[in-house]
Amino acid sequence: MIMEPLKTIRPELLQLTDPQLAALLPYFVVFGGIAVVIILSVVRFMKPKWPVFFLSLLTVGFGIGAALGLLQEGASELVFNGMMVSDTYSNFFIIVFLAAAGFTILSSFRYLDHENLQHPEYYVLTLFSALGMMLMASSLDLIVLFIALELMSLAVYVLVGFRRADRRSNEAALKYFILGSAASAVLLYGAALLYGMTGSTHIRDILAFVQSHPAGLPPVYVLGAWLVIVGFLFKVAAVPFHMWMPDVYEGAPVPVTGFMTTGLKAAAFAGFVRVLLATGYGKGLSEAVQANFHDLLWVCAVLTMLVGNIVALTQTNLKRMLAYSSIAHSGYLLVGMLAGPGSEQGYAPVVMYLVAYAVMNLGAFVVLTIIADRGDSGLNLNDLSGLARRHPWLSFAMGVFMFSMAGIPPTAGFAAKYLIFYSAIQANEISLVIIAVLCSAISVYYYLRVLVYIYMRDPVGSPAASRMSVWSVAAVTVMVVLTLQIGILPAKMVSAARKAVTSL
Amino acid sequence: MMTHVEPWVVLAFCAAIFFIGFAGVLIRRNILIVLMSIELMLNAVNLTFVTFSKQLHHLGGQMSVFFIITVAAAESAVGLALVIAMFRTLRGVDTDQIRLLRE
Repeated sequence: MIMEPLKTIRPELLQLTDPQLAALLPYFVVFGGIAVVIILSVVRFMKPKWPVFFLSLLTVGFGIGAALGLLQEGASELVFNGMMVSDTYSNFFIIVFLAAAGFTILSSFRYLDHENLQHPEYYVLTLFSALGMMLMASSLDLIVLFIALELMSLAVYVLVGFRRADRRSNEAALKYFILGSAASAVLLYGAALLYGMTGSTHIRDILAFVQSHPAGLPPVYVLGAWLVIVGFLFKVAAVPFHMWMPDVYEGAPVPVTGFMTTGLKAAAFAGFVRVLLATGYGKGLSEAVQANFHDLLWVCAVLTMLVGNIVALTQTNLKRMLAYSSIAHSGYLLVGMLAGPGSEQGYAPVVMYLVAYAVMNLGAFVVLTIIADRGDSGLNLNDLSGLARRHPWLSFAMGVFMFSMAGIPPTAGFAAKYLIFYSAIQANEISLVIIAVLCSAISVYYYLRVLVYIYMRDPVGSPAASRMSVWSVAAVTVMVVLTLQIGILPAKMVSAARKAVTSL
Repeated sequence: MMTHVEPWVVLAFCAAIFFIGFAGVLIRRNILIVLMSIELMLNAVNLTFVTFSKQLHHLGGQMSVFFIITVAAAESAVGLALVIAMFRTLRGVDTDQIRLLRE
């Protein structure tokens, strides 16, 4: 038996045209920046600390600039034989990921000094992870998606275990590695089954296969699609695949935790939306397809919101509390995903929520990075008592972020939650919205408890040595401004999110 | 002499290997065995891709295998490095010893 020759891959297709090169500019910029950072970090005649720090920031800045330029043009360009696409959706997310990486780098500079961890590898790994996220938002092929996922995850596994001498950090890294690799393997097995049924790993071919089977899908296809979805549910820490998250968040260095909650989660959702659409969860598809995926995802969303919010009530460690709150926010995002096909706004609320969540959560973690004692201790609620007297500005910022996460106006969190619930009502998911609103009400308790400790308790013990750096305070200030700006004038961000999802 | 094997037999075999690997990740306590189980899962996926590739007469599946092998190698490198880091602080490679974070 002779194999069919590879008709789809021809050498002339591997040459990049000018518009394609332009569309790939953000990736080239970031990759080139990483290469130079690696070289700088091994030179012997100077301390690499400052040049590496500035060059990483410069890379991020140029990357954001390139992506902004492409976003302005609004062109959609298929590259590498259709395996990747550079469209408004991917460019929008590139800006989010690079901004998350940039603010993580800004806030961790002084932190690394303080913890004796000032190694250039930290910046390299952060940038590599951001590159993986960028590829993830733009991949149109399940194998490319898998490679992007691994690039992103492998860098983060090492970042989680960056405090090499610390036992908790090691344990968190290993736990995350084992469970994360197993989840990637499950995702990949799903991709293999999808390939077997549809004859392609390309997302659009898979969608075409689904559309050509309006009556019903073969069971192996459904199994494969579910395995892929389970892999993603693990990455976004939806219940019942959330067990790793609190432990990993607690063990990882604080700025890395902040990076994981924002960048990793946004990237996982960015890839998830593309794949979920491809596996048949979209507008105008057969009832059989909707029923196959809708009901179980509904249960998953409800469980995620309930477990995340209820367990967060009992947490006294702030990192662990924010981990459970992060699970709860995954639940709200899943509500948006479920509502996507049925509402006129589509997936725009999900994108908007990811941006708002990234801004407020990154801000909260930058504040935690500043107030953490050596070895990440001193992040219990009691340690925050009377913080308002020591750091009035940080306390105010923390207040804004907590209000935003609880969804109280006029903050970004309120605007984003409003949009998600509104689109869920349009999609006729009334019971889901009721549960989400009740969970949101529960969450107010544990967010505002933080503020009670900050503003209404007397300080305990001697105040810890402050290590506010200009960089961290600048990062906090930008986040506060963005949180309030998106909250008070959400129209601009909403229209940007709408524009981003039009190319899906 | 070549004997013909039905594709579904090979696919069932792959599924069995995959779930043996998955069970190994969940059940075994020695981290090195857990790493081997993850490799087992990835290799079951490789075999699945190759079988489908043969069945569909489409080379894309065999191409995918190359990428998966590369990624699996990178994954083991990172995994073993993390195991060594853990061994330095814990003096052991059992997952039973990972319990600080649960308390």
